[in-house]
Amino acid sequence: MERADTGGNTYLIRPSYHHKFKAAVVKECIRDILREQLSGVQYDPDEVGVLSRSLADCIKDKLKDVGFDRYKLVVQVVIGEQRGEGVKMAARCFWDSDTDSYAQDIFMNVSILSSSLLRGIVIF
Amino acid sequence: MPTDKKITKEDTWKSDDLRRHIRGGGHDEDSSRRRDDERRHRTGESVERRHRDPEREARREREKNRERDGTRERTKPRDTDKDRHQDRRKDGSRDRMGEKEERDKERSREQERVIKGTENVKYRNGDRDSRDKIHDREEKENRERVKARERDTERTRERERDELRKSDRDKEKEKNKERETGERDRERRSDRDRKINEERVEGGRDRDREHDREKRDRHKEREYLKESERYKDRSQKDKERKERHTDKEHSGQKEDREYREQHRKKKEESERRHKEREQHDTGESRRHDGESREVERERVHRERKGSDREREGKRDKHRERKHREEAGPERDPTERTSTKKSSSSDLRVHKNKTEPVKTKVEIAEAPAEDHGYGEAQDYEEDFEDYEEDFEDVDDCEGEDEKQTHSHEEREEREEISSKRREEIEAIQRAMDEENERVGSAQPRLSTEEDDRPKRSRDSETPQDKVSQHGRFMDFVAAKHREVSKKVASKQKKRSTELLRLIDLDYSITFSLLDLPPVNEYDMYIKNFGTANTKQAYVQCNEDNTDRDIQTEEIEMSEKWTQHPAERNVGCGGPKLSHEASDESVTKLSVDSQRLATFLRSASQVVAVLLEEGMAEKQSLKKLRTQADTLSFSDGCLQLNTKLPFLCGRQISLVQFSQVQRQTMLSVHSPSAKPSAVRLDSKTIICIWNIWEPSRPQKILVYESEVHCCCFSPGKATLVFAGTSVGSVVLWDLREHASAHYTLRIGENDWTLRHPTFSTDAVLAASGHMSSVSSVEAVPATVAEGLMPELPLLASDEESSGLSFQLASLDGNGFLNLWVVLELPKANEAGSHTDLGLRPGGKVKLLHSSTVLTTSDRSSTRDAKKTTLLQTLLLKFLPSDSNHFFIGTNMGLVNHGTSHGLKAPPKFYRPQVVGFRPVDVTSINFSPFGEPIFLVGCGDGSVRLHTVLSEQPLMEWTSSTAGQPVVSVQWAQTRPTVFCVLDAASYLHIWDLLEKDFEPVITEKIDADMVTAMAVFGDPAKQNTYSGISLATQSGKIEMQYFSKRFTVPESADLEKLQIMMQEAF
Repeated sequence: MERADTGGNTYLIRPSYHHKFKAAVVKECIRDILREQLSGVQYDPDEVGVLSRSLADCIKDKLKDVGFDRYKLVVQVVIGEQRGEGVKMAARCFWDSDTDSYAQDIFMNVSILSSSLLRGIVIF
Repeated sequence: MPTDKKITKEDTWKSDDLRRHIRGGGHDEDSSRRRDDERRHRTGESVERRHRDPEREARREREKNRERDGTRERTKPRDTDKDRHQDRRKDGSRDRMGEKEERDKERSREQERVIKGTENVKYRNGDRDSRDKIHDREEKENRERVKARERDTERTRERERDELRKSDRDKEKEKNKERETGERDRERRSDRDRKINEERVEGGRDRDREHDREKRDRHKEREYLKESERYKDRSQKDKERKERHTDKEHSGQKEDREYREQHRKKKEESERRHKEREQHDTGESRRHDGESREVERERVHRERKGSDREREGKRDKHRERKHREEAGPERDPTERTSTKKSSSSDLRVHKNKTEPVKTKVEIAEAPAEDHGYGEAQDYEEDFEDYEEDFEDVDDCEGEDEKQTHSHEEREEREEISSKRREEIEAIQRAMDEENERVGSAQPRLSTEEDDRPKRSRDSETPQDKVSQHGRFMDFVAAKHREVSKKVASKQKKRSTELLRLIDLDYSITFSLLDLPPVNEYDMYIKNFGTANTKQAYVQCNEDNTDRDIQTEEIEMSEKWTQHPAERNVGCGGPKLSHEASDESVTKLSVDSQRLATFLRSASQVVAVLLEEGMAEKQSLKKLRTQADTLSFSDGCLQLNTKLPFLCGRQISLVQFSQVQRQTMLSVHSPSAKPSAVRLDSKTIICIWNIWEPSRPQKILVYESEVHCCCFSPGKATLVFAGTSVGSVVLWDLREHASAHYTLRIGENDWTLRHPTFSTDAVLAASGHMSSVSSVEAVPATVAEGLMPELPLLASDEESSGLSFQLASLDGNGFLNLWVVLELPKANEAGSHTDLGLRPGGKVKLLHSSTVLTTSDRSSTRDAKKTTLLQTLLLKFLPSDSNHFFIGTNMGLVNHGTSHGLKAPPKFYRPQVVGFRPVDVTSINFSPFGEPIFLVGCGDGSVRLHTVLSEQPLMEWTSSTAGQPVVSVQWAQTRPTVFCVLDAASYLHIWDLLEKDFEPVITEKIDADMVTAMAVFGDPAKQNTYSGISLATQSGKIEMQYFSKRFTVPESADLEKLQIMMQEAF
């Protein structure tokens, strides 16, 4: 990207249509990964940290192949134990809402409550 | 402000200069005070000042606090340094230390200047080779920096030069009059501060000025720090040493050393300045390396300001680093080195090349450093050698300097400045104060300013490197830097441009997950609600399922049928068993056969009934009409003989069946005239039912002429006929119509029946040789007596089976007897044995016997006459079939018997004796069982004979007026009434009871000639009727019903006949 910029200024301020962030696709990816990796997992406070990190990496790696060229992908995975407490999560972004978007999915089983949020932000 | 700045700078520089000068002689005077100061300095920072001025102290403390807040590191290490200093001073070099400390500052400032000059270095080299060498390197490496510093120094020098030129210290004094005057002692200094304060109070300008001054002081200090840092950083080996120097100076020893150095340097500088002054015109270029920085003072000033500003950041860093490094020994020697390395690597790439040397030094120094603080002390001790030297120098103060440098000029200067030293020191302290104040404020800004100094350093370093090291290295690095700079600028530009185009906004807050809390009960249920439950299921009676179909299943089977049925099978199917099909078939066939037979008979009955009803009406009408003509007639019925094949045929014979009295046959002889139908040559016999006059029931056909004809006894099922060719033929009326040829004439189908059996040519040997004159069925043999029921019996017999005889008589007197046989089964294909039998026929004739009737008599009685005798008629006695009566052409009736029996009269002759040739034309027995018969003769005479006598009972010769009698017949209902038909078509009706001499009625049948006549009637009690059928020559048949007078029987009739018979005997 920098090379290109230095070679000649490109003022593409939004991604091409094909490379636009497709929340549905991403959500599907996230869902697959979460289901794959979390089904049947019991909550263990010691392992959850590693697990969430690996999940985030996994999601990011997978989505890098999807081809969101100019996007910076920020993955956030939260895993919590489900004990009946109320949980409320929200996200707020300062971004260009035309191009940037997010996808999120939730996975729940008996003991785990996992929310995964992925934000795609266009890099200039 | 520039003026102020100048002034302040000049002040500062002057103060430096002053110090330098002062150091020469002012050491001793204030040594004790200085020591105190330094002690204070060690514990605090500038305790002296506090001592001197509480206000200041407070201010100082404030600053300190600020400093501590922002750069605690800085103060702490200093404290530690000072502690160290204290330790050191305890050693016994406190006085010196105090001086050193002062000098230290000066030196650090002056070092730059000192370093610049190679001469100075050389001086130093003279003292310490190693150090000098390091300095050399330093100088080489940091030429750029040095230049910058040189600029300063040059400036100062220039200034100094100028000043010196002008009036050296006097001028300086003049410039700094205020301060100098105020700063000569501490009192003065405080006064000055007061003044400054006053000035501040007086106007912002003074304050600004002071600020500027302070700033400048700070700058200086920073510069000094920076420079020392630079020495550390950039002049690696040297730097380290210098750092240590600085460290040590700060911690005491360093200061000492530096003090010494500076002391020396001052001296050197003073000398150098002198030299420089001398050289100024000639050799400045060397210092500046072609840079014309010493062009104008103003410009230099500006530049210096800029560089000062830049250095502020550096200084901050330097401060930090210094602290780090100072704290380093305490922390970890390796870390210290690493920090050094890192810092050096961060800042300079080219450092790596100089590192090997540096590392050596480090290694050399490492052991000392590794031991922590004490080791640091050891390390410092390394320098103690020098310090001691300096201490000695310090001890001797001026002597040392003299010893080392032995510069007269300097001594002089020092002497001169010794007086002002205090003042200068005061000034310096004030500056320090200010510097510290600013320094404490600056750390806050340091983060912001970090980049700038770095950049400036970055930009500076390559130049330095270029100047110091191989040029190729620097080019690469410079290029990199330039490129990166370019890129950075471009990106920045781009980002600024793009940011205008992009709208960033706070998007709506996405709610990622909202999971309401579960209440306790739900949680419990969720966790334990299903704990004790188990889901299980079982299925039993697995196959108990119902299946319903709403529609009935369709049953199918294959069937075939054929009409009309063949071989008794009308229908069937492959699946059905044979028995079933057979049953159905047999049923069907039985039904059809039965139905056929039933229909056949029934249709006949129905037809008759219909015909009767019709005929009665018609006949009644006709009777009315014809009543006029025929007096005896009660009515008349005409049979429909106007059939195409009957037209023009003469009816030769009419005859009624004895049993079935309504059945009549008529023989139509072949006509001469050709007609439409090809039956001309054939004789047609029609069987009529008199109640069905519209058409004949059956039509029998024979090839030749038929002379005589008769019905079978009993039921009229068979018809026998004797033909002109001598054959006897037989028709079976029961045969089905389909078995015969059907001729279609007009719209009607006529079934023409050919004979069932014929004796033509078959029984030629036993047959008749001439034409058959009469055929008569032999009644069933009733042994004795004449029974009135006889016909009934005969009919019974017939019904049981056909077993009777037939007699046929030809003209030659041969009487043939035939047995009528009925075959049990018909043979459609014909029979080989019965050649006369028609295929499919069932009745045949068997020749029984032949009797010659005439020969006996002629031989016996009248031979001559017998030759002429012809037998014309044959009649059997109704009561005894063994007696037969044959009419001859001699007017006689022969009486013959079969089986050799003999009866008394052989013949019956008329009353007139003698033979005369007269034909007997008709013989008729009385139907009421009386043994009397009528004989009609050709001469018109009618005789009434009894069987028992030869002579007739009565003879009427003239009743017909000579006309031959055609037929004589008794009436069927009255025994005394008979009819006579003569050839002239006169019908004479006799009633013997009424008249026995002449006929009662003689009627002339006009229209046509009557060729045949037959009487019919039924003697049954009820519904008695009788009549006469008359067949005419034209072929008409009229049925004339007798009037009541001739039909109703009377009791007197039989009595009359019996009387007549008795009369005859």
